[in-house]
Amino acid sequence: MSTIYEELATVVIEGDSKQASALVQQGLAEGLTAKEILDNGLIVGMGEVGARFKRGDMFVPEVLMSAEAMQAGLQVLRPLLASSGAKLIGKVVLGTVKGDLHDIGKNLVGMMCEGSGFEVIDLGFNVPPERFVDAVKEHKPDVVGLSALLTTTMRAMGYTIKALEEAGLRESVKVMVGGAPVDAEFAQRIGADGYGSNAVAGQELAQQLVGAA
Amino acid sequence: MTAPPADDRLPVVIIACKVMETLLAHLVPPGLAREIRYLDYGLHRVPAKLTWSVQEAIDAVEEPSLIVLGYGLCGNGLNGIQAGQHTLLIPRVDDCIAILLGSRRRYVEEFEREPGTYYLSKGWLESGSHPLKEYQEYAEKYGPEDAEWLMDTQYQHYERLVLVTHNEEDLETYRPQAEEVAAFCRRWGMRYEEIVGSDAYVRRLVEVAAALDRADDAFVVVPPGGVIRQDQFI
Repeated sequence: MSTIYEELATVVIEGDSKQASALVQQGLAEGLTAKEILDNGLIVGMGEVGARFKRGDMFVPEVLMSAEAMQAGLQVLRPLLASSGAKLIGKVVLGTVKGDLHDIGKNLVGMMCEGSGFEVIDLGFNVPPERFVDAVKEHKPDVVGLSALLTTTMRAMGYTIKALEEAGLRESVKVMVGGAPVDAEFAQRIGADGYGSNAVAGQELAQQLVGAA
Repeated sequence: MTAPPADDRLPVVIIACKVMETLLAHLVPPGLAREIRYLDYGLHRVPAKLTWSVQEAIDAVEEPSLIVLGYGLCGNGLNGIQAGQHTLLIPRVDDCIAILLGSRRRYVEEFEREPGTYYLSKGWLESGSHPLKEYQEYAEKYGPEDAEWLMDTQYQHYERLVLVTHNEEDLETYRPQAEEVAAFCRRWGMRYEEIVGSDAYVRRLVEVAAALDRADDAFVVVPPGGVIRQDQFI
């Protein structure tokens, strides 16, 4: 077994963009496929970042730097992933809900989903329920991802799901939720289809929801 | 076994964030609480630590008591805390900003009017939970260039910085510090405002602590054996 995956995961955890990009190049030179490098190196690293963040062993700045490192690696892989002819596995509409302007987590989920083969439509932050409804009508996504950082704004996730119901669109999409204050119980209570505890979990959930896991 | 107090009421113990210290010191009548214990502020930056610290403080109370928690849900920091042999009384708020504003409704109104607000409280200033301190810490740890980038990534969408106190006196005291933070936050176009809230919430909390049957939906009461859950607040 190559340890390049482990090294790659480590540099993602350490947030070393230069090394991430160099190791990805090295992996490709050694004959690994873009998909292998992504799944076994970069995503594994980000998965560990998510777990450590949740435990309080890593903080926002470190997570941001890890995300940059992941992004640096992904940048090398992106054209290869696209040209490998892999089909898009689905479409995700993402947004941070109304009243909340924190988009770091949502952006991470977007990056992870894109990396794993989704088309991602990012509605940004402070997105009112109506805009989610409009976006579902327009883009017909498989999955809608709702993000919130605050307990004060997580209520808006429930309102958004309600708005989708009222527009008669709830059955046509899967809804996943995530963000610091959110847990599986809350997700269930507001009628979401799933909850991701970090960006990698969110991406895996999206894959499950479209039956691609 | 100690005999129950003559009036059949549980002894009152207050465990609160330091942000509540002056408020409680003014409002808790002598004789109401057997013990008042303040825990470090800034625990809200790491909710898991808050959970652990508060649970430990609760478990350390030997006699079955009415424990008043001077906290809000605090980023889920109180979620999962077990009452054990005690009864818990907690303000039904997201965090100390609602307490300082005087009511949960006022917080919601402010929030709806201007979501892009970063609130400063005395506690957050004193514990260094504000953007300027954060920048300084980042600069020391990661160098100025990365620090700038990290700060922009986190704060660029904010539009307003608000100092919230429960009275004019605190406002005067903390204004200079808040203005320093405000000057720093101008880089993102944030404007600075001040709000004087009230002590109404804490006044009510103290009343309810003395007569638990007066608890209304502004409070969460957890019976012995119960657990604090997020949905009690949301």
